[in-house]
Amino acid sequence: MTDKTPCQLRERDDIVLRVAHLSVNFAVGKQTVQAVTDVSFDVARGETLGLVGESGCGKSTIGRAIMQLPPPSAGAVIFRDQDMTVLSGEALRQTRTGLQMIFQDPVSSLNPRRRVRDIIAEGLTIWGRDNSAARVEEVMSAVGLDAASAGDRRPHQFSGGQCQRICIARSLALDPDVLICDEPVSALDVSVQAQILNLLEDMKARYHLTMVFIAHNLAVVKNISDRVAVMYLGKLCEIGNTEAIYSKPVHPYTRALLASIPDADPLAREQALLDEEPLLQGELPSPADPPSGCRFRTRCPYAQERCAREEPFMQAAGDDHFVACHFPLL
Amino acid sequence: MRTKVSDQSVVRSRAQGFSAAARQVFGRGFGPGFWIAAGWLLVVALSAIFADVLPVRDPLDPVISNRLNGPLTTNILGADGLGRDMLSRLVHGARVSVVIALTAVTIGMVIGGTLGILAGYFRGHFERGLMAVLDVILAFPWLVLLLALVAFIGQSLMAISVAIGFLWIPAYARVARANTLSVVQREYVLAARAMGAGTLRILLREVLPNVILPVLAYGLVAMGLVIIVESALAFLGLSVEAPQPTWGGMISEGKRHLATAVHVALVPSITMFLTVLSLNYVGDRLRSRFDVRESNL
Amino acid sequence: MTDANQHEPLLLRVTGLTVRLNSSHGLVHAVEDVSFSLARGQTLGIVGESGSGKSVMARSLMGLLPRRSIAFGSGSILFHTDNAQEQDLAQMPDKLMRHLRGPAMAMVFQDPMTALNPVLRLSVQLTEPLRQHLGLDRQQARSRAIELLAAVGIPDAAGRIDQYPHQLSGGMRQRVVIAIALACNPALLIADEPTTALDVTVQKQILDLLARLQREHNMAMILITHDLGVVASRADYIAVMYAGRIVEYAPARTLFTSMQHPYTEALFKSIPRINDPSHTRLQAIPGRPPQLINAAVGCAFAPRCQYVQPRCRQQTPPVVEVPDAREHRHACFYPISPGLNREEGDD
Repeated sequence: MTDKTPCQLRERDDIVLRVAHLSVNFAVGKQTVQAVTDVSFDVARGETLGLVGESGCGKSTIGRAIMQLPPPSAGAVIFRDQDMTVLSGEALRQTRTGLQMIFQDPVSSLNPRRRVRDIIAEGLTIWGRDNSAARVEEVMSAVGLDAASAGDRRPHQFSGGQCQRICIARSLALDPDVLICDEPVSALDVSVQAQILNLLEDMKARYHLTMVFIAHNLAVVKNISDRVAVMYLGKLCEIGNTEAIYSKPVHPYTRALLASIPDADPLAREQALLDEEPLLQGELPSPADPPSGCRFRTRCPYAQERCAREEPFMQAAGDDHFVACHFPLL
Repeated sequence: MRTKVSDQSVVRSRAQGFSAAARQVFGRGFGPGFWIAAGWLLVVALSAIFADVLPVRDPLDPVISNRLNGPLTTNILGADGLGRDMLSRLVHGARVSVVIALTAVTIGMVIGGTLGILAGYFRGHFERGLMAVLDVILAFPWLVLLLALVAFIGQSLMAISVAIGFLWIPAYARVARANTLSVVQREYVLAARAMGAGTLRILLREVLPNVILPVLAYGLVAMGLVIIVESALAFLGLSVEAPQPTWGGMISEGKRHLATAVHVALVPSITMFLTVLSLNYVGDRLRSRFDVRESNL
Repeated sequence: MTDANQHEPLLLRVTGLTVRLNSSHGLVHAVEDVSFSLARGQTLGIVGESGSGKSVMARSLMGLLPRRSIAFGSGSILFHTDNAQEQDLAQMPDKLMRHLRGPAMAMVFQDPMTALNPVLRLSVQLTEPLRQHLGLDRQQARSRAIELLAAVGIPDAAGRIDQYPHQLSGGMRQRVVIAIALACNPALLIADEPTTALDVTVQKQILDLLARLQREHNMAMILITHDLGVVASRADYIAVMYAGRIVEYAPARTLFTSMQHPYTEALFKSIPRINDPSHTRLQAIPGRPPQLINAAVGCAFAPRCQYVQPRCRQQTPPVVEVPDAREHRHACFYPISPGLNREEGDD
C-alpha cells in the first residue's frame, strides 16, 4: 500500500463500499464552497456506518455524492469493484440501483399524484423486473404496510411514519446491497422514531443490507451503528467502532458533541449546572473560507500553534479507532 | 350507561361518515360561491355548444319593429339597434368567446407549458435563453403585437385564437417553470433518479402530473383574460368579422346607443363580467387547491 | 392538595383550561382540561409530541391565538402580578393583555429565523419593547439593548446591534430572540421548543443561557419540548401532554423514578439512550399520535397502550393524585405502579 492510502481504510475482502479522498465543491455565486474535503471511509458487508455531525458539516452531501447525485468533484466511490465516479449513462444507472436512499422528509419523498402501489413498483417497472402485485405486496408487508388497504391510496393519506415505511419499501423493492439513510427519523414524532429504527434493523437482517446512516442525533446513531464517523466542516474528525467512539472519544470535537447531549436523567441536573463552561468557543466558520490547518482549531479549547500550521491526518488511536488531531485526548 | 355511551359514539361516527362522504363528493371547503360560479360557467358552455338547437330566435334576423326595445318587452333581453334578439346573439356569441378562449389557452398551455417545464428541469443555457426571449415578448405592447399578428394571419376565428394563444406562451412558460422548479427540489425526483429512471420518465411521471394541475387551474383565469382581449379586438373592429355575433362586438355596437338604449351595451357587458368573474374565482380556488407549494401540508 | 410553592410565591395558576379550535377538517380539541400552577423562579417542562396541544396551550396562555380560530375556550389562567394582584388572563381583553406581554410574560419560539423581522436591524427590534413598555428614550434604550445582547452571550454586542438577522448564525439569532423576550424583565418566560431548530452543541449553549438568566432574574419558565432529555435535568416539574391533556405531572425526579402513566413510560422507553449499547432493541409504541379532530371517547392513549382495559375505551380517566406521593398526578385508570417506587422493585 502506498502511503497515500488513508489509514482508516481497511484491507478486508468484504468491503462493499469504499469512499476514497472524496471532495465535493459547490459554486455559490463566484465563490467555491468545499462542502466535503478529502473524506475516506469504507463499509463492510452487513455493517452499519453512522455518519454524524452538525448541520452544514457535509454529511448529507456525502450521501448524495455516493449516489452520484450529483457526482463528487474529486475522489473515488468504489462499489461492486467499480469506481462509480468514472461511470456514466446506462452503466451508472445500472450500478446505482445497487445503492438506494431514504430521505429525511418522507412526505416530500413520495410523489403526491401516484398511488402507493405504483410508487413501490416504480424501480421494478423501470428495469423490467418482476413488478407483479405479489412482489409489491411482499415488500409492503415486510415493512408493515397492509397491501390490500394501503396499495391504492395516495401518500397524503398516510402519516409521516407510514410514509417513511413506503419509502423504505420502495428502496427495498430493487433489492439493493447498500441503503443510504439520510436523517430518516428526524422528521418523525418521537414515539414513531423507534418503529422506524426497529424496522430498519429488521430489514437489514432480512435483506442482508449494508447501511450508511446519516443523522445528527448521536443517541440514534449509536443505537443503529456498528461504526461511526464524526464530521466537522466537511472533514472527517474521528472514525471507529461505535463503542470506542462513544466511550472513549479522542477528538476534542467528538467529546464536545457527546457532552452536549441532554441526558434524560434528572440526577444529572447538578452536574449540568456545574459545567456551564462552554465546551466550544466561537461560531462555526464559513465553509467558503475554512480555517487553515485543522478546521476545528478556531473553536478547540486545546488548540495550539501547530494546529493552524499543519493539517492533521488520520492516525490510529486504538483498535479500529482513528482520529485526525495533532493532540488527541488519549 | 355504558351502552348509552357507545351508542352515542356510533351515532357520532356515522354522522362523521356522512359528512366525510359529502366532502368526498362535493370537495372540501369550496363553498357555495365556487359552485354558483361553476354553474354559470356550465350555462355559458352549454349555450355555446347547443346554440343552434336552443329555442332562441335567429341571431342575424333583423326585426325592425323591435329596434332598441328594452328587456322583458318583445324580446326577453331586449333587441339591438337592428332589431336582432339580444339573448340569441349572446348565446351565439358565447360560441365565439368559448372557442377563442379554449383554443388560445390550449395553444399557450401546450407550447408555453412544455417550454417552462423543460426550462425548469434542465436549467442552464436553455433556461436563460428562453427566459430572455419571453421577456422580450412580454415587454412588447401586447395590443400592438396582436394587431400585427391579426393583420398578418387574418381575421378568421382560428387566426384570432392562434394570435391570442401566442401572446399567452410567456405567461404559461413562467407558471410551468416556477412549479417545475419547486417540484424538482422534491426528494421523490431524486429517489426516481436513484432508482435509475431516465429523464423522459422523470419528466412524464414525476414532474408533469405535479405541474399540470396548477397550470390547468391558471388556465381558467387566463380564459377570462382571453375573453377580455377578444372583446378589445372586437371593439377595434378587428375580431371575427360581422355579422357573426361576439360579445365584444355587441358591446362595441351598443356604444352607439348608450344615450338612448343602455341595455344594448349593458347586457353583453354584464354577461361578460359574470363569465370572467366566474372564471377567475373558480380558477383561483382550484389553483390554491392544486398549487405544489400548498399541497402536501 | 398543596403545590410545591412553599418557598416562592405563586405566579401562575391554570385551572381547567380547554381550547377548541376551528379548522377546515372540523373542531380541533387542542387543549382539554389542563390544570397546573407555577411559582416564581421555577421551571415547568411540558413534554409532548406534535399535536399534543402543547404549543396551542402556550399560545393561549399568552393570548396569542387568533380570536376567530377559537371555537370554544374555558377555564381560568390566574396570573399574579407584582403587586400581588390576581388577574384572570382568560377573561382579559386584548388591549390589557398587550401590556402584560413583555413586562409580565414573554415567549421564545422554535424558529429563530421567522421570529425576527428580516428587514429591521437588531437595534430596532430590541429597543422597541424597551421604549414602549419601559418608556426609555432612544439613547437609554440603545445602551440597555447592548447590555442585553452582551447578557445573552453575543460577542461584540455594540458592533452587532446594527446588523440584520441574516448576518447571524441560527444560535446567535436565538440568543437575540431571547434578549428581546427578556428586554422588559418578564416574570414568566414561555419557551416553545427553543432549541429544536438548532444543533446539539448550540442547544446546550442556549439551554444553559436560559437557566442562567432564569436564576439571575428569578424568572419562572415554561419549557416546551418533544425531548424528555431536554427537560429532565432542567425542569423542576414536568407535565407530559398527550392529545391535549396532561396525562402525568410530577416533580422531575419523581417522574423519572416512578412513572405512573403508560404513555410516559412508553415514550421514555422508545427513545434511544446514549448509554445503551448499540443495537439495543427499542420498545416502539405502535400506531401514531391521535388527530385531535372531534372528541374521542375514552382515554386517547388507549389504542396504543399495552396495558389497555375495556374501561379505558369507554371513559375518559380523570386526573388523580398518586397516594403518598407529593404533587404527583396522572390520568390513568390503571397506573403502572401505584405508590410504588420502581427504582426498588422493577425489571
